[in-house]
Amino acid sequence: MAAEKKISYEQARDELAEIVESLESGSATLEESLALWERGEALAKICQEWLDGAKSKIAASRTSAEDGSE
Amino acid sequence: MFETSSEKPAPVRVVTEAIKEYLDRLGPIWIEGEISELNERSGGMAFMRLRDTSADMSLSVMCYKTVLASVQPLPANARVVIHAKASWYTKSGTLTMSAKEIRQVGVGELLARLEELKGVLAKEGLFDSDRKVSLPRLPKKVGLICGRNTDAMKDVVENSRRRWPAVEFEIREVAVQGSAAVVEVSQALAELEARADVDVIIITRGGGSFEDLLPFSDESLVRLAGSCLTPIVSAIGHEKDSPLLDLVADYRASTPTDAAKRVVPDIAQEIADIDLIRQRLFRKVTHLLDFEISTISHLTARPVMKDPMVIVTSRVDQISTARDRAARTMTALIDSEKRELKQVRAHLRSLSPQSTLDRGYSVATLEGGAIARDAAKIPAGSNLTIRLAKGSLEATVERRVD
Repeated sequence: MAAEKKISYEQARDELAEIVESLESGSATLEESLALWERGEALAKICQEWLDGAKSKIAASRTSAEDGSE
Repeated sequence: MFETSSEKPAPVRVVTEAIKEYLDRLGPIWIEGEISELNERSGGMAFMRLRDTSADMSLSVMCYKTVLASVQPLPANARVVIHAKASWYTKSGTLTMSAKEIRQVGVGELLARLEELKGVLAKEGLFDSDRKVSLPRLPKKVGLICGRNTDAMKDVVENSRRRWPAVEFEIREVAVQGSAAVVEVSQALAELEARADVDVIIITRGGGSFEDLLPFSDESLVRLAGSCLTPIVSAIGHEKDSPLLDLVADYRASTPTDAAKRVVPDIAQEIADIDLIRQRLFRKVTHLLDFEISTISHLTARPVMKDPMVIVTSRVDQISTARDRAARTMTALIDSEKRELKQVRAHLRSLSPQSTLDRGYSVATLEGGAIARDAAKIPAGSNLTIRLAKGSLEATVERRVD
């Protein structure tokens, strides 16, 4: 999974959307569906980590900016 | 002029007499300059120094006090035109211009000349707006040319520091009036222009008389300022004064304080601006992030992602449905087979000889099971089996009856 960390947020998001759609269409075999779901979970985790990281960075910088002025 | 050598040198008297003779042949000429070091000695003579208005050059001039009296009282640094002849003093080997007539150059004439010079320089395009360079937003160093320890200097420095405390100056304190002004200001300007760290130059001077401000309309200084690549801010005199330097400068400041305002930004304003930009940045990035967060949460909230069991349960349903269908189909199949069997059985029953036997017929079979059909072919003594509607009999043939 280490290699997966390298995909960009947008790649992960778009692939996740595709996976959700193909799971919903139900056209995949059970084995494929399970693999898709596992991949979807992993992508959702990557996206979530990205967003949480960005959120805390902004929060930290905002706090330091407010501390800095005055 | 002489044939001389180290072995045959000319004595001083011969040389000095020769110079005198040469100079005496020259007639009187008209010369213009500024008077400095006027010295009226006891006796009938007055001595003075006549300085060039642009260059650091001067002549020694003497005249009878009566000649001088015609123009007195003279203001400081008065512009004059003299009619004079070169005189060589053999005793000390010095040259003095002996003036027969002195005329003051009037303000009116100077103004007329300034207007003429202005016209010439304007025609050359020296004052064109497309030659003006914009001032740097935040200069590395501010060059400042001003009078020694003057209010103009303090105004510029203090007001600049108030706006931008870290401002750095490269200050040249020079003569800003009198005959030395043009030379010293020009020299300072050339020096600051040559420095890479000075990226704007202020030339300032407080108010003064028309004559006091004349150096700042000097052609050579104005041309030098025009040739400078470093932006120049002029803050000379008061609003109404308009020396030519103002016209060639990249920005004409009304006062030294105004010059300070133009060369450095106001730090409080800058901080406020940056703060605003920063707030906009925060808003934008937060908005962007919120949008992405909702995109992802919508995706993960979809049934397949939220309850992945659906993937399995949907298939479990399929399987049980299939099983039900299979069971139903099998039952139907068995039922139809059963029905068919019953039919076949009934048909079979309708084909059996029992009913014939029930009516009273019998069937005789020979040994070996063949049915006895032709009496002629059965000899007497043959054993027969006679099948009746119920049970069978063993019989022996007695004889044939025809």
